[in-house]
Amino acid sequence: MHELSIACEIFEQVMSTAKEHGATEVKHVTLQMGRLSHTNPEQLSFCFNVLADESIAKDADLIVEMIPPSLECECGYKGAVDEKKIRENCEFESELLAYAAVMECPVCGKPAQLTGGRELIIKSIEIETENQD
Amino acid sequence: MHVIDMGHDVYKANDKVAEKNKKKLDKYQVFSVNVMGAIGSGKTTLIEEAIRQLKDKYKIAVIAGDVVAEMDSSRFRKLDVPTIPINTGKECHLDAKLVEKALDEIDLSNTDLLIIENVGNLICPVDFKLGEHLRVVIVSVTEGDDIILKHPMIFKTSDLAVINKVDIAHAVDVDAEKMRDDILSLKPNVPVILTSKHDWESLETWISFIELGVKEAQNR
Repeated sequence: MHELSIACEIFEQVMSTAKEHGATEVKHVTLQMGRLSHTNPEQLSFCFNVLADESIAKDADLIVEMIPPSLECECGYKGAVDEKKIRENCEFESELLAYAAVMECPVCGKPAQLTGGRELIIKSIEIETENQD
Repeated sequence: MHVIDMGHDVYKANDKVAEKNKKKLDKYQVFSVNVMGAIGSGKTTLIEEAIRQLKDKYKIAVIAGDVVAEMDSSRFRKLDVPTIPINTGKECHLDAKLVEKALDEIDLSNTDLLIIENVGNLICPVDFKLGEHLRVVIVSVTEGDDIILKHPMIFKTSDLAVINKVDIAHAVDVDAEKMRDDILSLKPNVPVILTSKHDWESLETWISFIELGVKEAQNR
């Protein structure tokens, strides 16, 4: 299962950062997840909570912010995919497929390079410490 | 309450190890192939054919990823090539760290071609680079002709697509040409090869594609 190994990596990174900062509790973990990454936010959250069960992160909320795919084209275009085009693409049932199929430059129409949308970033954590400022 | 910025990208951490693996392979002019595909698509058989035809010309090593057991690696060992099994346990894909560890067990100065058989899965391997030079996805007609559009990202991210078992396409009521068109609609210009283990010509195309990469690596 994919999500468990990723949750382990997140848990280890969160705990080591929390420890470095003298945390007594981890309240929130904010993740940024590319919409094209093959990770399920709910499963990830479940796995994280199982792993964190007996730690200072046991009550932590996993907040997931989704990142849309972005493109880079040889014509010089750098930016997001054309969302309007995706909605027009009604013959494709899934959102993922619609994204994958329309990875063409919204300016010149050529197939463009995918530059973002597959990331999984631990953006920040919110912690409590004993000595509050 | 304190907010601490982390900015730790889980996949990029894997990509960094993958880059390291690739540099190591480049140093020894080893050409590496990551073979991905579902269970039963014919990955092991197509790799065996490539080994049989190329092992007298080049030194080949194999990393065989499996959830449990060593069935695939024992098949490669029978062909007399150094084989490192990786058991992923519950994991559904190989990652760069697992490959890094396996590379320590391979005599790279005595290797021209490294074939990595990924775990049978069309989903998870997509997100994990290994340090390979060529990403190959193998799909068989028995998986149904809608399999490609159901798993677009593995085709978007592969350098070569193989449609296997085309000799039985009619029996399973599948149009292999439709499968080819679907792949090209997702990734125009990607090379697509139609293969069957009973059609020697199709196997030659598959093998020559790998050989081309080995030759290029040796001339780098």
